[in-house]
Amino acid sequence: MAPRDQVTVPSNRRRPSLSFRSRPRNATVSAIPTTAGSGLGHDIRDGLSLVDSGDAMEEPVLEDVNHFPEPAHRPRGAKSFSSLCHPVDGLRALGRRLSVTIRNKSSRTFNYVHQDEPELEPQGVKGHNSISAVQGFSITLPIPGNRLEPPKFPSDLYSGAAARAAAAAQNDVARKMEQMKLTQDSESGIGIVLQDHSDVSDSESGSDLIQVDPVAFFPTEIMSQVLSYLDPESLMNSELVSRAWSEQASSQHIWRHVFRHCYGQHRPAGTRTKKQASAGVGKSVFNQNWKKLFIVRRTLESRWKEGKAAAIYLQGHTDSVYCAQFDEDKIITGSRDRTIRVWDAHYPWPCRKIIGPPSADVSDSGPVEDPEQQSTGKSPFLTIRPPPTRSAEIVNPNERPTMYHSASILCLQFDDEIMVTGSSDFSCIVWDIKNDYRAIRRLQGHTAGVLDVCFDDRYIVSCSKDHTISVWDRHTGALVKKLLGHRGPVNAVQLRGDLIVSASGDGVAKLWNVTSGLCVKEFASKDRGLACVEFSEDARTVLTGGNDQAIYQFDANTGELVKEIEGHSGLVRSLHLDSSNQRIISGSYDMSVKVFDSQSGELSIDFPGWTTSWMLSVKSDYRRIVATSQDSRTVIMDFGYGIDGIDLLEE
Amino acid sequence: MAEDNQNMLSFLSNDGKTIDVPRDVAERSLLIKNMLDDIGPVTEAIPIPNVSENVLNKVLEWCTHHRSDPPSTGDEDDSRRKTTDIEEWDQKFMQVDQEMLFEIILAANYLDIKPLLDIGCKTVANMIKGKSPEEIRKTFNIQNDFTPEEEDQIRRENEWAEDR
Repeated sequence: MAPRDQVTVPSNRRRPSLSFRSRPRNATVSAIPTTAGSGLGHDIRDGLSLVDSGDAMEEPVLEDVNHFPEPAHRPRGAKSFSSLCHPVDGLRALGRRLSVTIRNKSSRTFNYVHQDEPELEPQGVKGHNSISAVQGFSITLPIPGNRLEPPKFPSDLYSGAAARAAAAAQNDVARKMEQMKLTQDSESGIGIVLQDHSDVSDSESGSDLIQVDPVAFFPTEIMSQVLSYLDPESLMNSELVSRAWSEQASSQHIWRHVFRHCYGQHRPAGTRTKKQASAGVGKSVFNQNWKKLFIVRRTLESRWKEGKAAAIYLQGHTDSVYCAQFDEDKIITGSRDRTIRVWDAHYPWPCRKIIGPPSADVSDSGPVEDPEQQSTGKSPFLTIRPPPTRSAEIVNPNERPTMYHSASILCLQFDDEIMVTGSSDFSCIVWDIKNDYRAIRRLQGHTAGVLDVCFDDRYIVSCSKDHTISVWDRHTGALVKKLLGHRGPVNAVQLRGDLIVSASGDGVAKLWNVTSGLCVKEFASKDRGLACVEFSEDARTVLTGGNDQAIYQFDANTGELVKEIEGHSGLVRSLHLDSSNQRIISGSYDMSVKVFDSQSGELSIDFPGWTTSWMLSVKSDYRRIVATSQDSRTVIMDFGYGIDGIDLLEE
Repeated sequence: MAEDNQNMLSFLSNDGKTIDVPRDVAERSLLIKNMLDDIGPVTEAIPIPNVSENVLNKVLEWCTHHRSDPPSTGDEDDSRRKTTDIEEWDQKFMQVDQEMLFEIILAANYLDIKPLLDIGCKTVANMIKGKSPEEIRKTFNIQNDFTPEEEDQIRRENEWAEDR
C-alpha cells in the first residue's frame, strides 16, 4: 500500500496523518478529549441535575391529574386489571358478541387504528367508562371501541401499530375481554387471569375466576418447557408454590436450560483463533447438578460485584514477572529471571516446572515482601502465600536443556498444543506443551527484544523493540511476512483471523491485514506511547492502554474512538477483555489492577497495591484475575475462593 | 374463501362439530401433514378426538394467520431463550382465559404445531415470571401444601451460598 510509507508519524504528534481517515469526524476524535477536559465533566454534572429537577417537578403534576389512589402503578397502567372483576359482572349479560374496549395511555396508537376502521367491529360495544375509571389512568383519553371477536381478523391491522410495550398492554386488556366472551359461552362464570407481575396489592383471588393449576393440567414435558423459559429467580419461586411444583421446578433438565441461558454454554471447539479462558459453565456430564451450578455461579458473580477476592501469591521467580497465561489446570509465567514457570492452578498451587537455563544459573527464591495495602480500594479478604517450591524438587540437574532463552522472558502464549515465548534475547521459542514443554524450534529474525507474541491455527505473530512485526508459519516456523510501519518499539500485538492489531511506543495502534501485509487503519492515542492492546473476539473492538493512563476503546471497523476510560494514575501496562462477562481488566504502573464494565466503562473493582510494584500483566477468566508484578510475584485474585462447589464450574 | 374443493379438508372435533379447513392451514399441524402424506387424499372429516370445537377453531385461527410462515429452521435454541419474544399478533391471540390457553397448548402439542406450542408455553411462563410463590398460587388458585418446615428447607437450599 503506497500511502503507508508516506505517512510520517512523529511520535510526539497529537495524531497521525489523516490519510487513512477519510471521514472528517475521525479527525475530531483526538481533539475531543483535549478540549473537553474538566469542562466536559462539569457539563455532565449540570445536565444531570437538570434532569433530576425536571423529574421532581413532573411527578406531582402527573399525580395531580391522576386522582387515583395508587400512583405507583401509573407507569404500568396496563397491568392493573383485576379491578375488572367488578364491571365484569355487569358485562356478563351482554352475551358472546360483547365487544369492549379499555383504554389506556400506552395503547393510544391502537385505538386510532380501530377508530379508523370501525367497520371491522360490527358488533362493538363501546365506551366502558367505568372500567377505565377504576384503572386510574385513562381519564384524559377517549374510549373508542375495541374488537373482541378474534377470528379472521386481518393481521395487518396491527402490524406496526404500536410499540411492543403498547401492544402488550393492549393485549392484556383484550385478553380480559376475550375471556369474558368465552366464559359467557360456557356460562361457567367469569375468568380473569391475574397476569400482571407487579400488582400484588390488587391481586385478590376472585371466586369466579377460571383458574387452572398448570402443573396438574399439563403433562410433565409441557410444564417442563414452560418452566425452562423462566429466569432463575422465578424458577426458584416456582419451587415454593406447592409440592407438585417443587418436584417439577427442581428438574435438572430445566435448570440446565436456565443456567445456560444465564451464563452461556461451551463454545464449539475449533472455531476460535485464540485459546480462550474458561467460561466457567461446568461440564456437560450426564448427572450434572445444574441447579447447584447456578447457585455457585450466582455466588461467584456477587463476589465480582462486591470485589471480594482472595489473594494467592505465587512465589518463586527471582525478578520481574513480565507475562502470564492460565487455564483451569495451570498458570504459566515468564520472568526477567530468564525462566518460565508452570504452576498448578489448584491448591496448594505448587510450581510444577521450571523451564530455563541450566538450573545452577538460577537462584532459588526471590525476594518476598508483604504487600502494603493502600488506603482506598479493596484488599483481599484472605491472603495465602504457599511456600515456594524448591527448584531442586522439580529440576533434574542432569538434564541439560537444549534450548532456552538467555535473557528475560517478556511474553508468552499457549494453547493445547504449543507455547510460544518471546525474549530479550531477540528470539521466540516454540515449545511442545503435550511433550513436557520440549523446545520445538526457535524463531529468529528480530534485531531487538521480542516484546509480545500471539498465534492462531496458522500464524505466530511477534513484535519487537526493533519496530517490526513478524508473521511466522505456526507449523514450519518460516517467516511469512514482516510488517513495517511503526516508528517506535512495538509493545503489543493481537491476532484475529486475518487482522492484526499492534500498539507501539510511538503512540499509535495499527490494524493490519495479514494477507496483504498492509496497514489498514490507525488508532491514535493522545500524546504518548502505547503499552498494550486488546482485540475483541469478534474483531470489532480494539482497546489500547499506555502512557496516557487512559484506556481507549475503538471501533475496529470505523476507526472511531468509542470510549475513553479513565481511572489509572500510572501507565496502563496490560489489558484483558472478557467479552462474555463484559469486563475489562487492566494492570498499571500505579500498582493497581482495575476492572471496568466493558459496556459502560464504569470502574467496578479497584485492587490497589496487592503487590509492591508495577503490574506487568493481567489476565482473567470467569473466577479469577492473574496478575504479575515487577516485585517477582504472581498474584491470583480468586473470587471463587472458598465457595462450596466452585470446582463444579470448571470445564 | 376461494379455496378449491380439492384443497379443502374437514375436521371433526371431539364434540361432533365439522370444521372446513384449507389444506395448507391444516398442514401447519405436523400430525395432519404426516397423516396426509401417508394416506393420500381424504374425503371424510378427519376426527380430532382430543380437541373440542371452540379450541380447534382457535387453533385453526392461528394456523390461518401463520399459513405462509416458513417452516421452522430447527434452530430453536436462540428463540427458546427469549421468553418475552412473542410477536404481537400471537400475543394478542393468546389473550384468552387460562382454560382456553391451556387447551390450546394441549391441542398444539397433540397436533404437533411446534411454534404454537412454544408461544403457548412462553405465555404461561410469562404468567409465572417475576412473581412470588404466593402470587403464583393466586394466579392459578393453588393450595400451598407445604409444611412450614418443608418450605423453610427449600428456601434454605435456594439461598445457600447466596450473597450475604
